[in-house]
Amino acid sequence: MNLAGEARRSTAQDNDEATPAPFFVRGTLVEGTAVRHRSRDLGVDFVTPKLDLDALIALRTEPGPLFDVKLDEILDFLAETGERMRQDKGGHLREAVDRISATNVLPRSVIELNVRMAGDYLNKARLLEYAEQNLGDARVLDEWVARVDSTGRRSFTRAFPPRLIHVLPGNSPLVSAQSIALGAMVKAVNLFKMGSSDPFMAVAILRTMLDVDPHHPVPRSMSAVYWRGGDERVERAVFQPQYFDKIVAWGGGDAITNVIKYLMPGLQLVSFDPKTSISMIGIEAFESEETLEDVAARAANDVGLLNQEACVCSRVLFVEGDRNQLDRFCERLQRKLVDRNAVSGKAPPLPRDLAEEVESMRLMDDEFGVWGTGDGSGLVVRSDEPVDFHPINKTANVVGVSSLKDALKYVNVATQTVGVYPPARQVELRDGLASGGAQRIVRLGDAGGQSIGAPHDAMYVMHRFVHWIVHEDGFAASPACPQA
Amino acid sequence: MDAVVRQQESSDLVGLVDTENPFDIPFSETLPRQLEAIDASFKDRVDKIKLLQNRAESGGITDIRRMADIVPLLFAHTAYKSYPEGWLVEQKWDRMGRWLDTVSTRRVEPMDTREVKGLDAWLQRLESQGHYVSCSSGTTGKCAMMNATMADGEFAGHSLLRAIIWSGIVPNHDRRMVSLGQVAATPRNRASGKPMREAFNRPDVMPFAPNVPPITIGGITEMIVLRKKIADGTAKPTEIAYFEAQAAEREKAIESSIEQAAAALIESRHMPLHIMGLFGPLYKVAERVRAQGFSGKDFCENSAFVSGGLKRVQLPGNYREFIFETLNLSFDRFCLTYGMQELNTNAPRCKAGRYHMAPWVMLLLLDESGEHLIEPTTSGEVEGRAAFFDLSLQGRWGGVISGDKIRATWGPCACGNRGPSVSEDIQRFADTANGDKIACAGTIDAYVRGVA
Repeated sequence: MNLAGEARRSTAQDNDEATPAPFFVRGTLVEGTAVRHRSRDLGVDFVTPKLDLDALIALRTEPGPLFDVKLDEILDFLAETGERMRQDKGGHLREAVDRISATNVLPRSVIELNVRMAGDYLNKARLLEYAEQNLGDARVLDEWVARVDSTGRRSFTRAFPPRLIHVLPGNSPLVSAQSIALGAMVKAVNLFKMGSSDPFMAVAILRTMLDVDPHHPVPRSMSAVYWRGGDERVERAVFQPQYFDKIVAWGGGDAITNVIKYLMPGLQLVSFDPKTSISMIGIEAFESEETLEDVAARAANDVGLLNQEACVCSRVLFVEGDRNQLDRFCERLQRKLVDRNAVSGKAPPLPRDLAEEVESMRLMDDEFGVWGTGDGSGLVVRSDEPVDFHPINKTANVVGVSSLKDALKYVNVATQTVGVYPPARQVELRDGLASGGAQRIVRLGDAGGQSIGAPHDAMYVMHRFVHWIVHEDGFAASPACPQA
Repeated sequence: MDAVVRQQESSDLVGLVDTENPFDIPFSETLPRQLEAIDASFKDRVDKIKLLQNRAESGGITDIRRMADIVPLLFAHTAYKSYPEGWLVEQKWDRMGRWLDTVSTRRVEPMDTREVKGLDAWLQRLESQGHYVSCSSGTTGKCAMMNATMADGEFAGHSLLRAIIWSGIVPNHDRRMVSLGQVAATPRNRASGKPMREAFNRPDVMPFAPNVPPITIGGITEMIVLRKKIADGTAKPTEIAYFEAQAAEREKAIESSIEQAAAALIESRHMPLHIMGLFGPLYKVAERVRAQGFSGKDFCENSAFVSGGLKRVQLPGNYREFIFETLNLSFDRFCLTYGMQELNTNAPRCKAGRYHMAPWVMLLLLDESGEHLIEPTTSGEVEGRAAFFDLSLQGRWGGVISGDKIRATWGPCACGNRGPSVSEDIQRFADTANGDKIACAGTIDAYVRGVA
C-alpha cells in the first residue's frame, strides 16, 4: 500500500524551495519528492518520498538480518561507521547539519557538536561496556547462557533480538546515533520514525553505513522514515504486535499519549517519559564572590544545555539563602546565561503566553524578581514557589528555600536530573530525591555528562529492549538435551 | 482636540448602539474616530492599568495615531490568567487582589480577606466593591479572570439584544424563552441574557432553563485545585475518587439538561419559542426531539440565538439544517454571533453569512505571530489572527488579541452594509498547527489523567 498526500501532494515548483528528506528502508536509500511536510518548530517545508508501508514490514517467519550475527562483529561495524562519520567523505553528515539547521531550533554550532558526538559515540570499547553494564553479561546477546538453579533445575537464557519501533525525538541528533547503536547491539529489526524537526540525521548515519558495506546486516535491519506523528493511516496499520514487539518512544505529553492508544497484548511501550530537571544549590554557594560566580556558571551550563530543549536541562533551581542572596545569584545566573550565547547562540524568544506571564510577574515586584528579557538570550525569574509555566528557551526559575530538604516536596515523578551544589550534599539528598520520583542525581554543572551504561529514566535501556527468552531443560541430573 | 471632546468620541461611537444600523458605516469614516477614541482611552488608562503602562513603556508608545500603534498594547487572554495558580490553591486573596489590580481600570482596594472562604466568596466581595469579575469557563486549565464594571455587563446585554434585532428578529414579549444552559454562571453571562429574556419572553409564561446545578467559577476552580494536588502527588485516593465522581456528575447534569430542554421544547411547541444555546447542545436536543417523534411541522415559527462556533464539538456537516428542520427555525429568525469572553460586544451574522463589527469595536488583523499588523484593505479578503479594541469596555483595557484565524474585509458586504466584516469560517490557530513535536522534555501535566 502506498500513502501519499498526508501533508499534500507537492508540485515541481514547490520542491525547488523544500529540503529533501530521503527515507532508508531495510538497507536501501529511498529518494523522492512526492510528499511535502512542514516542520513543526520552524515551519520549514521538507519533501519525502511516498511512504510504502508494506516495504517496512517483514514477516516473523523471516529472521531479522542480525539475529545470527555476533555482537563483536556488530560492534566492529558500528565502530567503522563512527570512523566514516568523522571522515564524512560522502558528505552525508555535512548535508544533515545543513538540513537540520533549517528545521531545528538548535543553533548550527550545537548541531555540529551533536553530530560530532554521534560519530564518537560509535566506539567499540564503550559500546561493549554499555552492554555489559546493562545486561550484566553481554554473552546473553550471542548465546543461550546456561544456569542451574538451587533446586537443580537447568535453564538457558538469551536476550533475544526484538522487533522495535523507535519514535525518535527531534531535539538531539545524538539520540539518533544512540538509538541506532542500541538497536544494532540487541540485533533488533528496527523502524525509526523520525521527528519533523530532524527528519535527516538517522538516514545520514544509515547512508554512511552503506559506504562501509552496502550489504551488511546492520543497515539491512534498519528503516528510517517520516510520517506526521499521530497519522492514524500509518500508525494503525504499522503498530501491530504481529509486526513489532515494542514501541520505544521518547517524548513529551502528546507523543506518548498518542503512542499509548496502540498498546495491546504483544505490543509493549518502552517509554522515555517527558521529564523536567532541576537544580539544588546550598548556602555554600555564597561563601565567596568567586564561589558564587562559579556556581552561577555551573547552573547556567545545566539550564542552557541544548538551548534548554532537552529533558536534562535544569528549569527550576532551588537555592538556600535570603532574598538578598537569591537576587545576587539570579543576577549572576542571568549574566552567565547570556555569556553562553557567544558559544551556543540564543534560543527562540518566549511564546506570547509565557512572555505575558513573566511580564505580569515583573509588575508584582513584591513577590517576584525578573532578570533579563524573554528574547531567548537568558531570563531568570525568582519566586517563592515554582512558577506555573514550564520554563523554556533559556529561562530559569529560582526558588528560595530555607533548606534543600524543603525543596524535596517539589520533586515528582516527572523529575529526571537533579544537579546539586556542593557535590558533598548529593549524599544527604539522594534517597529523598529518589523517593520523590527523581531518577538521576549529578553535580551541578554536569547534567550533560553521562557515565557509560548508566540507567536512564530509571531503567537499563538495553535490558528493556531485548526479548528475554528462557529455554527450560529439566533437572541437571537428567540427560542434557543435545544442543546443550 | 481637548480631552473632553476626545472622550466624547468614544461615547459617541458606543452610543451608535441605539441607532438603527450601526453596521453600515464605512471603515474610512469610523477609523479616524476610533483612533481618536482609543488614544483617549489609552491616555486615560495608561496610568491606571499597570500592565498597559508596562506595555506602553517597553513598546515606546505614547500616542495612538495609527492602527499599528495599538498592536504592542493588545492583551491576550493569558494576560488575565497570569496569576500564580498557587495563590488560588492556597486562597491568598490579598495577593490575588494585588494581581487583579494590575489588569483593572478601577483600583482593587486591599480588603480584609481573612474571612473569605473560597473563590466564589472572594468574587462576591469584589462585586460589592463594583468589580464584576468574569472567568473563562475552561474546566481543567487555569481560569482567565477579567474585571468589568456593572455598566460593562449592562452594555453587553443591551448591545447583544440590539444585535439580535439588527439581524432581523423582532422581540415582542410573545415567545417563551428556552435556554439550554451549560454556560458558566459568570457576571458577563448573567448580564448578557437578561435584556434578551425581558424583550422576548411572554409575561404569562416562565422562561425555561434546565434545572441543574450551575457551573460556578468556584466549582470550576475546585477542580483546578484538585488537579494541581494530583500533579504534586499530595491528593489522596478519596479526593481523586471525588474528582472523578464530580466529573461524572457534571456529565450527568449535561445529559439531564439536554433531556429537560427537549421536554420543554416539546411541551411548549404550541407557542412561539425563542431558543438560546450553543450548536453542540442544540444539536443533541434536536436529536432527542426527533427521537420522540417531533419535528418542524409540530412547532410554531421559532427564533433562536446562538453564540460562537462549534467549540471543537464534532457534528455532521448538515447540523444546521437538521436543527432548523427539527425546531422550525429559519435564517430569518436566527441570530448567530461571533464573540468571546474577553470582549463586551458580539458581532452578529448578516444574511450574507458574515459577522459584522460594531463601529465601537475596531477590528485589527495581525500575522500569525500576533506581532505585526496586516494593513486593512477595502478590496478582497485577508487572512490573519483576529484582534480587537472594544471601546465599550470600562473595567479593563479594551485591546484584545485572540487565538482565532479569521478572514476579514473592510469593504462593503454582499448584504449591503458597509462596515468591516469577518467570514463565517473561523478557525483556532491552536487547531491548525502541525502538532507533532517530539522532545524528551515535558511537565508533570502529562502524568495527570485527563489533563495532558
